Amino acid sequence: MLSEIPLSYFLVVSTLMFFIGIYGFLTRKNLITILMAVELILNSVNINFVAFNRYLFPDQLEGHFFSLFIIAVAAAEAAVAIAIIISVYRRYSNIDVERVDTMKF
Amino acid sequence: MKFDIYDLGSFTSSFDQLLMENFSPFWAVAIEMVIIGIAILAFYAVVGLYLVYAERKVCAFMQCRVGPNRVGPYGFFQTIADLIKLLMKELIPIKNADKLLFNIAPFIVIIASFMAIAAIPFAKGLHAIDFNIGIFYIMAVSSMGVVGILIAGWASNNKYSMIGAMRSGAQIVSYELSVGLSLVTIVVLAGSLQLSTIVEGQRDGWFLFTGHIPAVIAFLVFLVAATAETNRGPFDLAEAESELTAGFHTEYSGIKFAFFFLAEYMNMFIVASIAATIFLGGWMPFHVGGWEAFNNIMDYLPPVFWYIGKTAFIIFIMMWFKWTFPRLRIDQLLTLEWKYLLPINLVNILVMAFVVLMGWHF
Amino acid sequence: MSIHELMFYLFSGMILLFSVLTVTSRRILRAAVYLLFVLVSTAGIYFMLNYQFLAAVQLTLYAGGIVVLIIFSILLTSHISQKFEPLGVKKMVFSALAVAAGALLSIMTILDFGFDTVVTTSQNPDMELIGTSLLSYEKNGYVLPFEVISVLLLAAMVASIVIAKKEKSK
Repeated sequence: MLSEIPLSYFLVVSTLMFFIGIYGFLTRKNLITILMAVELILNSVNINFVAFNRYLFPDQLEGHFFSLFIIAVAAAEAAVAIAIIISVYRRYSNIDVERVDTMKF
Repeated sequence: MKFDIYDLGSFTSSFDQLLMENFSPFWAVAIEMVIIGIAILAFYAVVGLYLVYAERKVCAFMQCRVGPNRVGPYGFFQTIADLIKLLMKELIPIKNADKLLFNIAPFIVIIASFMAIAAIPFAKGLHAIDFNIGIFYIMAVSSMGVVGILIAGWASNNKYSMIGAMRSGAQIVSYELSVGLSLVTIVVLAGSLQLSTIVEGQRDGWFLFTGHIPAVIAFLVFLVAATAETNRGPFDLAEAESELTAGFHTEYSGIKFAFFFLAEYMNMFIVASIAATIFLGGWMPFHVGGWEAFNNIMDYLPPVFWYIGKTAFIIFIMMWFKWTFPRLRIDQLLTLEWKYLLPINLVNILVMAFVVLMGWHF
Repeated sequence: MSIHELMFYLFSGMILLFSVLTVTSRRILRAAVYLLFVLVSTAGIYFMLNYQFLAAVQLTLYAGGIVVLIIFSILLTSHISQKFEPLGVKKMVFSALAVAAGALLSIMTILDFGFDTVVTTSQNPDMELIGTSLLSYEKNGYVLPFEVISVLLLAAMVASIVIAKKEKSK
């Protein structure tokens, strides 16, 4: 049964995933890979919500619904981010954050 | 253990009990998983091969030819011979390709269609997993196949593959909306996402007939969108031979090409069985509410044959599309989806919700 | 070892392995494919916890939506021969240190804190419950966030079209 796995195992996995995402966020230079790191971070938060919901309040659905909403927000965020990336690419013809250094044309 | 072709549920549950008595729960589940896996794998191979044969025969019929007729009676073993030929072909390594992604891509495509098969009800009780969210699960896992196509096109390092992959990606992503929405229309009528409940709900007549005009519209939209989503028929511009050689699988050879080929036919099979299950009652025989004698006569044919017959009918229609309509251009394709099918679908859902609310369906 | 434990170790192992590969791979499309694997294993964890609807949403929206979007933009902006330059040692060491310190601190806090977990019923919330609570405005109803999300999605859709649209040539 599920009770054989302690709640803290899930939390450890999601914490590690969160900090791996932060590592990616700090070290990557390409805009798309930064976006991927952000998705990792959001996903780890989702695992936390769902695990808390299942273990602490199994008869309510708060964590479940907040994960749903986070996924929807992540989708909206990815769409806008990719629109920005495409338009940056059009102007500078690359998407390296360190080369996009002009404020205005 | 009794075997009853009209209700396979008793057979599968007694088999389950037998395993549970003789093994620990862990091993019982493991053995069941292995058996189901092997059964689906064998089914996959056989259906894939014979769909190729059926396609060639239907194509020949449409063009007044005979089709394959040399290997075995009526060319029945032609596709097996083709498979053996493909297996013995050389796997050509591409020098400037991304080897890892190039090798992963066929597997992603084939796993996506493999996962979808697990949730399809073939007959009463012959159902690997009966998810609470059945139809949504099938949509979810089959939406992953497009990733395989996109990375196949990119990893080949070839401009034709790349263009083919981009086209097919845009096409699949946009037509997925129409497929999903037309299924939602029927889900509104059935009041459930679970496939067994949906099939049971058609006991007094298939949803295509009980759902009035919105169900018929949803069925037509589903047929068009599903043909497009499987990259077939008049919508196969992702692999338009005359301009793109073969689209995203130009660089593939041997068994990896066979994977793409099989996955394409199996996707057609999955889409046809979804259409048969959702609109035409799955394994449910043709019933008319209230006509007891008629219903009893219809029940003589076992459910699994009803299922096979309906699926074969939908597959035949899709092949008919392919060999009669000319291929669309990419802009016509996107116009068809975004300017016609999607608005029709959205209005259709509202109409269906209204019909269900007023209780106008049968 | 029960089947739940086996699934948990399998999925969490895949999550950790592929998320490390996602942030360290030097080829951009490989990173995206590793991200896909991470997201699919997360869906596996949701299936294991018996939240089937959430798992299917995760597969459709993340694996079928966001990853496809990311791969599309990679196809538009990069070339297969591109590889990222290796990281500078200084940057890598300092980021790794900061991250390791943060992870260590959080994990120690988690392991110290005793959660009083309920014996789980492990029931899958059925679709009717999910549907009615999404649209209910009473206790345990989520109609407000639902509507806010719908407005947000509309705004995001309009915004991305306006941003990515080609400017008219003057």
